[in-house]
Amino acid sequence: MSDAPNSIQSKRVLVIDDGITMRLFYRTILNAADFEVEEATNGVEGFEKVVGNSYDLLIVDINMPKMDGYTMLRSIRREPGIGDVPAVTISTEAAESDSRKAFESGANFYLVKPVPPDTLTEVARLMTGMTK
Amino acid sequence: MALVKSKSGPAAASMEPVGGDVASLLLSLSSDDARARRNAARELADHPQAAMALCDRLEHERGPSVRAVLFTSLIRLQSPDVAGRLAMHLRSDDAQLRNGAIEALQEMPDAIAPHLSDLLNDDDSDVRIFAVNILGALRFEEAPRLLTEVLRKESHINVCAAAVDALAEVGGMEAIEALEELRARFADDAFIVFAVDTAIRRIRAD
Amino acid sequence: MNALFRPSKENFSMTVEEYAKFIEFFYRKTGIQFQENKRYYVERRIVERMEKTKSESFRDYFNLVRFQMDGQELQLLINAMTVNETYFFREDYQFQALIKGMLPSLVRGRDKRHALKIWSMPCSSGEEPYSIAIHILEFWDQADLWDIEILASDIDSKILAEARQGRYGARSVQRLPAHLLSRYFAPIGDGLYQIRDELRDSIDFTLVNIVDKLQTGRYRDMDVIFCRNLLIYFDDVARREAAEMMYEALRPGGFVCLGHSESMSRMTSLFVPRKFGDTIVYQKPSSAE
Repeated sequence: MSDAPNSIQSKRVLVIDDGITMRLFYRTILNAADFEVEEATNGVEGFEKVVGNSYDLLIVDINMPKMDGYTMLRSIRREPGIGDVPAVTISTEAAESDSRKAFESGANFYLVKPVPPDTLTEVARLMTGMTK
Repeated sequence: MALVKSKSGPAAASMEPVGGDVASLLLSLSSDDARARRNAARELADHPQAAMALCDRLEHERGPSVRAVLFTSLIRLQSPDVAGRLAMHLRSDDAQLRNGAIEALQEMPDAIAPHLSDLLNDDDSDVRIFAVNILGALRFEEAPRLLTEVLRKESHINVCAAAVDALAEVGGMEAIEALEELRARFADDAFIVFAVDTAIRRIRAD
Repeated sequence: MNALFRPSKENFSMTVEEYAKFIEFFYRKTGIQFQENKRYYVERRIVERMEKTKSESFRDYFNLVRFQMDGQELQLLINAMTVNETYFFREDYQFQALIKGMLPSLVRGRDKRHALKIWSMPCSSGEEPYSIAIHILEFWDQADLWDIEILASDIDSKILAEARQGRYGARSVQRLPAHLLSRYFAPIGDGLYQIRDELRDSIDFTLVNIVDKLQTGRYRDMDVIFCRNLLIYFDDVARREAAEMMYEALRPGGFVCLGHSESMSRMTSLFVPRKFGDTIVYQKPSSAE
């Protein structure tokens, strides 16, 4: 990490997932890679936080109460000023339709559970321009 | 001055006939006008005999605002029959409908109780995950015991993960043994190991 | 915890895990979020309730709050956590958002004959609707171009009578700049201030029970609803119904303003969050049926 010139100011990631242990898991992994992490527990709350703050990356679970991940992303993409924040969706199914739905709703990348910690870190670095 | 009082005043504003007899309300449930459908759905919450008609409407309704009112009225009219009909939407591909059903079922512990064992043993692992999600949010004393049972019997990793998550919030000391067994069973999975440790730490903190 | 050791204000302290677990639960139930820096405040309220309920330990008390069927203790805890105080210009960044964001957005392309309707509910003793009126008159440059109706409702007839009377103590007006205090109030002795008649008469005060469908059904075509620090007192179902009632009362594109620690995210996805200045408000979609 020490050789990454743009990591002086740590990047802010919003993790949107209804599972408490899953949020903590992502938080622990991302914190270890010097990301600053905030959490939201459903799509509506995620949308509220994205509207009210500025993030460098969204990690979005697909299956969530109130508003699922696809709907949330589509709503964010419509909103002027915040619409271009990079987003990674995480779903439980490896079905092809899920990847298509992810990209259609505005995801820049998609992962399938279970996500290995190294993969999450790598993708997060890639998406926030923190490549080595 | 820019501020004016309403000509008639709100209280005197014309009253639309929101009430009406059950038969005409049932008819309005399939009106072309979304507001009329919402009104009917809302009013029918006072008529227990309309519960199944509200369930029927939910099968066809596409408007999100009407669906919201239908769910709310069904929570008011909750019964094991209503819960059974709502549980069918756990299989729906329509995320909004499915999530609405999950949230509604979380509001009716007594009504969903008789269905829980079927749902937890469903062939579809997604349905089992939703059943666990419901259980975790239910005001239901049996919840920790049922969730512990899921840990022992369930083979699907994502269902187990959901149960660990729920136990992190509602579990007690009696869940710890089953959690440790689960950790041993999925020792290769970084997330399960992490989740179990988190849940145990939280339970011990109680 | 042994039987002789009872929790008390002096010796009670929650562990980090207990606190985290509690604030998460409380947030899930009420939408109110307490940060780590509110820990002392939260612990004091909890210990009060533990004493009242004769709970032996935090665990006992937490189980009572979580599993009690009628949710009564949860309600009492919410009351204890949300001691409410009302005064002029309270949370005034939201009134700023009304002037700078919501009203300009509402009048874009709008017919001048169409009055703007703002509903303060619950209005309590009147500080909120009067603060809205003062903000519009003082800070909105288009105020003279539009007819603006302010409706103010409460369930409590006694407090509504106080609102109509418009008489306030020094504490209530302390956030008002001096020139606004003298412009809109007259000192009447005993440290009391009487709101001026022109302002008082421009607001429609009505008695309304928000959970009564028949009563709320009369409120239609609202552009903005201020509903601050009320829904926290409701259970989940009543909160859903209240959100649906507001949806019904609003015109498409209209806004709901909640209290600063409240959020729609636990209630409904009927509204879209919008950011104006430092506050998030909730908009009924313009395309709503």
